[in-house]
Amino acid sequence: MTGPAFRQARAKVSSAERKERLLFALLVGPNLFLFSIFTYWPLVYNGYLSMVRWDFLGPKVWVGFGNFRHLFTQDEFALVLWNTAVFTVSTVGLICGFGLLIALLLNRSLLWRDGVRAVVFSPVMLSGAAMGIVWLFILDPRYGLLDVLLGYVGLDSPNWLLDTRWAMAGVIIVHVWKNLGYAVVIILAGLQAIPKELYEAALVDGAGAFGRFHAVTLPGLSPIFFFLFVTTMLASFQSFDIIHVMTEGGPVNATTTLIYNLYDEAFKATRAGRAAVSAVVLFLGMFAITLIQMRFSERHVHYA
Amino acid sequence: MSRNEHRSISRRGLLKAMSAGAGMVALAACAPAPAVTTESESAAAPAAEPLTVLLWSSYSGKNGEAEQALVDKFNEEMAGMDLQVDYQVQGNYEETAQKVTAALQAQDAPDVALLSDVWWFKFYLNQTLVPLNDLIESQNVEVDDYHAPLIEEGYRQGVYWWIPFARSTPLFYYNREMFDAAGLPDRGPATWEEFGEWAPDLVSRNGDELEVAAFVHPDSASYIAWLFQGVAWQYGGAYSDPDFTMRMTEEETVAAGRFYHDTVHAYGWARPSKSIGEDFLNGFSAAMMASTGSMGGLRANAEFEFGTAFLPEHDFFGCCTGGAGLGILNTTDADILPYAMDYIAYVSNPENTVFWSKSTGYMPVRKSAATSDEMTSYYEEFPQFKTAVDQLELTRPQDSARVWVPNGDQIIGKGLERVTVLGEDAAAVFADVNETLVNEAAPVLETLTVVES
Repeated sequence: MTGPAFRQARAKVSSAERKERLLFALLVGPNLFLFSIFTYWPLVYNGYLSMVRWDFLGPKVWVGFGNFRHLFTQDEFALVLWNTAVFTVSTVGLICGFGLLIALLLNRSLLWRDGVRAVVFSPVMLSGAAMGIVWLFILDPRYGLLDVLLGYVGLDSPNWLLDTRWAMAGVIIVHVWKNLGYAVVIILAGLQAIPKELYEAALVDGAGAFGRFHAVTLPGLSPIFFFLFVTTMLASFQSFDIIHVMTEGGPVNATTTLIYNLYDEAFKATRAGRAAVSAVVLFLGMFAITLIQMRFSERHVHYA
Repeated sequence: MSRNEHRSISRRGLLKAMSAGAGMVALAACAPAPAVTTESESAAAPAAEPLTVLLWSSYSGKNGEAEQALVDKFNEEMAGMDLQVDYQVQGNYEETAQKVTAALQAQDAPDVALLSDVWWFKFYLNQTLVPLNDLIESQNVEVDDYHAPLIEEGYRQGVYWWIPFARSTPLFYYNREMFDAAGLPDRGPATWEEFGEWAPDLVSRNGDELEVAAFVHPDSASYIAWLFQGVAWQYGGAYSDPDFTMRMTEEETVAAGRFYHDTVHAYGWARPSKSIGEDFLNGFSAAMMASTGSMGGLRANAEFEFGTAFLPEHDFFGCCTGGAGLGILNTTDADILPYAMDYIAYVSNPENTVFWSKSTGYMPVRKSAATSDEMTSYYEEFPQFKTAVDQLELTRPQDSARVWVPNGDQIIGKGLERVTVLGEDAAAVFADVNETLVNEAAPVLETLTVVES
């Protein structure tokens, strides 16, 4: 093809391409617009804030990495990072572990099964703040329900929220209780999606109950668990309401996690710079864990 | 499969990169737009509607009802003038201050805000409060009738910035029935040493555990640093001097800290509590130091007779002021300013001060209110309140470390938690606290020098 014919063909292609690009822009544009305002811009601005000293009212004073240096040389911040790790690992482990056990139980034909499922799921729909207040009463060492129950087996209730050794356990229990139902529902759906034929084949091959669980159930649930790990971990990292209502990060910072430290620094101490450092660390932590999980999932998650 | 996956990931990656780049451009293009809309809206609003003074405040429960009643009364009296106060509760003192801060950023702040003892100074320092001298004069506010220790706290460089409203002091509360059962006199202890002698008769134990305590310490969130301040003074110590010289490591301040430590960890008659008010109301503590502002709630809810007393002494008497006052934000329109001042003067006039004090337990901020006939007959009916008013004369303004250093209250409070909850030695803890306070005070001092030079 030469001359005008070639030019015509090129014009046709590019007009089709232009249309496609326009369509692409129309479809992506609205999302992109919202993401830019509510996700990307805050991210960039937060990076800037982490480099300044600012009390939200006066002028911003550039301090470079001063806020990072300050926080990373404080014992308190080391405790905050440790608390975040303990809270996240414990809650994710317990939610996924107990979630699996309860889902396996509810997957069998039990009396009142649907009722039990509803009861297990209901805490998910309640507000964390309201639950925190209810659990404050339950965990009270002198007039709490748990103290009464422990009394029946001859145990004294620990001072859950005022003893630095127990406060973290207290908020973990409430977070797990509130979010367990979510894991149960997801795992239950996963269990019911595993083809029955696989179990039958395993049975024919002579696999016992544990063998079937190990060779069929667990691999079949791997995408579900991958999803659960990611979502519950992100939720744990960002858990704020329960801690705020129950302990306000105390006693003596025993339950101050990164997200709570962010709130403390920003809104109680009005130090935007140091709060922004917490946000940066939180973001990088979540980002790194998500990357690791994605790499792991490539090798170990089996999509049917 | 793997090739497909690979391709889809790289396409996604490309999309992400593109969206990030395009996002910045879109953002840069649209950023100013919302501001324009807001401005045009707010410009149109005042012309069409009657004058409104927007008030942000912090009270709930009995105190909130009383404040609402004051606003309603004001609005009723002003109805003929086409003037209304729009009363909005924003949460506790901290939440209110946070929202005022955000609102100032958004250029959408209230006209009058209730600011607590630890927050008003931040707004003063950032020059966001209106100087009130001219308004006080033009609206004929009798400024000399306010109790001196209260009005002087909001007075700097010859200018009034913050007018007392819901002002309180710590007060010693005791359960009269428990004191009676223990064979103790019906009065508060004159000194902490005396209380130390009484305390063993007031406690009851379940094995090693302290079931009923003689005294309870709050946590940092419930203002332990406010309540301990007087104790530090009683020992001859302090948090700091007005010029921000920190005094946490002084022998006397540390001795007060060690006393707090010992009440829990050596004498064993006090314990840290999540809610001292609930412990007291439920009979799990025989006594407590708490705000006079808690008196209304205690009176409504206590199923026993309680008594009030001056704070116990050690070498000296020591008791600080506290609570909140009202300020006008400098974003207020000029035509609203006189009315904003009118409202502040109205709710703290002698008549309304009596109503407010009787309803809540907050101090009568006006001298003439404290000596009025109505108040005098109220003292007879409820002598517990008279004690609080008598003590007011002996109070003094708070140390700069707690109220003027950003987060100073929580820095000291968390240190005190280490002493009462963890049982750490006060000397070591206060040394840490002192260092933090010195560092945090530095930028305040810089700004203050600029503002007040």
